[in-house]
Amino acid sequence: MSEGPIVDWGWVGGHLDDVWERTVEHAVLTGLAVGIGFAISVALCLLIHRHRRAYGPVTWTAGVLYTIPSLALFAALVPFTGLSLLTAEIGLVSYTLLILIRNIMAGLDGVPEATKEAARGMGFTDRRILWEVEVPLALPLIVAGLRIATVTTVGLVTVTSLIGQGGYGFFILQGLRRFFTTEIVLGTVLSVALAATIDVALVRMERALTPWSRRRVVP
Amino acid sequence: MISIRDVTKVFPGSSTAAVDHLSLEIPEGEIVVLVGPSGCGKTTTLKMINRVIEPTSGSILIGGEDATAVEPHVLRRRIGYVIQQVGLFPHRTIAENIGTVPRLLGWDEARTAARVMELIETVGLGIELADRYPTELSGGQQQRVGVARALAADPPVLLMDEPFGAVDPIVRARLQGELLDLQARLHKTIVFVTHDIDEAIRLGSRVALLNVGGVLEQYAPPFELLQEPANDFVADFLGSDRGLRRLSLMPIAGVPLVEGPVVAPGTSGEAAQRLMAASGVDWIAVAEGRRLHGWLPADGVGAMVEVEATRPFRSFLSVTATLREALDVIVSGRSPFVPVLDGQEYLGMLTVDRISEEMRR
Repeated sequence: MSEGPIVDWGWVGGHLDDVWERTVEHAVLTGLAVGIGFAISVALCLLIHRHRRAYGPVTWTAGVLYTIPSLALFAALVPFTGLSLLTAEIGLVSYTLLILIRNIMAGLDGVPEATKEAARGMGFTDRRILWEVEVPLALPLIVAGLRIATVTTVGLVTVTSLIGQGGYGFFILQGLRRFFTTEIVLGTVLSVALAATIDVALVRMERALTPWSRRRVVP
Repeated sequence: MISIRDVTKVFPGSSTAAVDHLSLEIPEGEIVVLVGPSGCGKTTTLKMINRVIEPTSGSILIGGEDATAVEPHVLRRRIGYVIQQVGLFPHRTIAENIGTVPRLLGWDEARTAARVMELIETVGLGIELADRYPTELSGGQQQRVGVARALAADPPVLLMDEPFGAVDPIVRARLQGELLDLQARLHKTIVFVTHDIDEAIRLGSRVALLNVGGVLEQYAPPFELLQEPANDFVADFLGSDRGLRRLSLMPIAGVPLVEGPVVAPGTSGEAAQRLMAASGVDWIAVAEGRRLHGWLPADGVGAMVEVEATRPFRSFLSVTATLREALDVIVSGRSPFVPVLDGQEYLGMLTVDRISEEMRR
C-alpha cells in the first residue's frame, strides 16, 4: 500500500468526470438487469399462476442459476459472448430471477382466499381478479423482491468490471491493481450509496402505490 | 323465485354426494335459511345458485331462467353475495368496495357515488367511513360494508353464507336485527346459510333443515318446525329446549295480561296491604289508568298510597318483546309480576302462568 491518507481527496476532486461516467454506467447495468429480470419473472409468474405445476421446475432452474458463483459464470460466458454488456447482463439477470419469482409468487399466494372468493362471487372474471385484486395486493411483496434484487445487483455489478463492464467496480479493480486505497474506498462507498438510494426510492414508490397498507388497524 | 330442481353435487375424488337430489322452492321476497350440521351441503347448495360451484346434475332456475343460460360472471353480477370472512378488498376504500358491482356493470361515476352514499346509510354506517380502508373498521362494521356491497346494484337475490359467523354474539344479534329491518324495507329473496339453529329460527321466513349428504329433512316456517318436527333428526337438531325456542317466535302482544297488585293513587294503605297479601308480594304498583307511576314496598305505603313516594320500575317489558324475553325477565327478577308497556302506555302485568297458558294453546 502506498503511504498517505486512506482517501486522497485531491485525487477524487480531479476525477469527478470519471465518477459521473461510472455512476451512469453502474445505474444502467443495474437498471437493465433488474428491468429485464423483472419482465422475465412476471412472465414466468403468470405462467405459474395459470399452471401451478410449473412452479417447481421454474424455481428449481432459477435456484440453480442463483447458486453459480458470479466469477465462474462470467468466465464461462466470455468464450461465447465476449467481454460485452451482454455477458454482464446474462449473469446479472440470472441472479435476479429467483428472488423476484419467489417474491411475486409469495405476494400472489398471500392474497386472502376470501377476497378472491368475494371477487368471483360478485362477477369478476379470472383476469380481473388477477389484475385488480391479486396484483395490487401482492405489491408490497413484489416491491420487497425488487428491493432485494436491486441491492444485490448493485453489489454484483462491481464484479462485472472483470469483464470490462462494472461501473464503480472499475475504481475498485484499478485501486487493487495500483494499491491505491482512495479508489477502492471510493468504488465501495459509491456502490453502497447507490444501493441505498435506489432502495429508498423503491420504498417511496411502494408507499405511493399502496396507501391502504399504512392505515390504522382496528384490533 | 329460485327453483332448485333435483340437484346433485359430487365433488371430484369423492364417492359420496355432497348434495343428493335436492329440490327446493325459494319464494320471492322471503328469507330462506339453510341450516344443518357440517357436511350437510348447505354451503355447497348456496354456491351452486351463483355457480361458484357447478352442480353435477339437476338444474337451478332463478326468476324462471336457467342459471346456466348465462356466463357465470354475468349471472353473479345480478346476485348479491355475502360471505363469512366478508372478503372486502383491503386496497380499496369503503366507498370503492361498495361500488364494486355498479362499476363492473358500467354505471357512471355520479350514479355509483350516489348509490354508495345511500347504502352506507342504509346499513347504518356513517358517511365519514366512506374514505377509510377496511382494516380501519371493526368486524361488525366490515360485515355491514359486506352487506352494502352485495346490495349495491339492487339485485333481487341475496346469497349469504354464514355472514355473521365471525362476529361476537352481541354484534351478531344486532346485525341479525338490522338484516330483518332491512328486509322489511327491501323485500329481497334471501338465501341464508348458517349452522346456528337460533339464527335460522330468528331470521328465516322458512327454514330448510339439511342432513349430512344434502338430504332435506324438513322445509317449513320456523314456528311449524318447532311445533311439529318431521322426524327425530329434526327434533334432535332443534334441541330439547324447543318449547323455549317457540317462545322466541311469540310476541307479548296478543297475550291476555293480568291486573296484578296495582292500585290507584289515593288508595288507603289498608286496601293496598290486602291486595299485596292476596297477590303474594311485598310491593304494590301505582297506576292511574294507562299511566304507571312506579311501585312502593310494603313498609313504604303508610296510611295512603302517594305518587310522590313511588320508585320507578327497573324491570319491565315492551309489548314488542317476545315471550322468551318476557320469561327471562320474569325468572331473573324477584317478582312474579312484570309490567308491560306500549311505549309510555301501561297495559297490564305478565306472569309465568300466562306464558305457559299461551304455550298450551
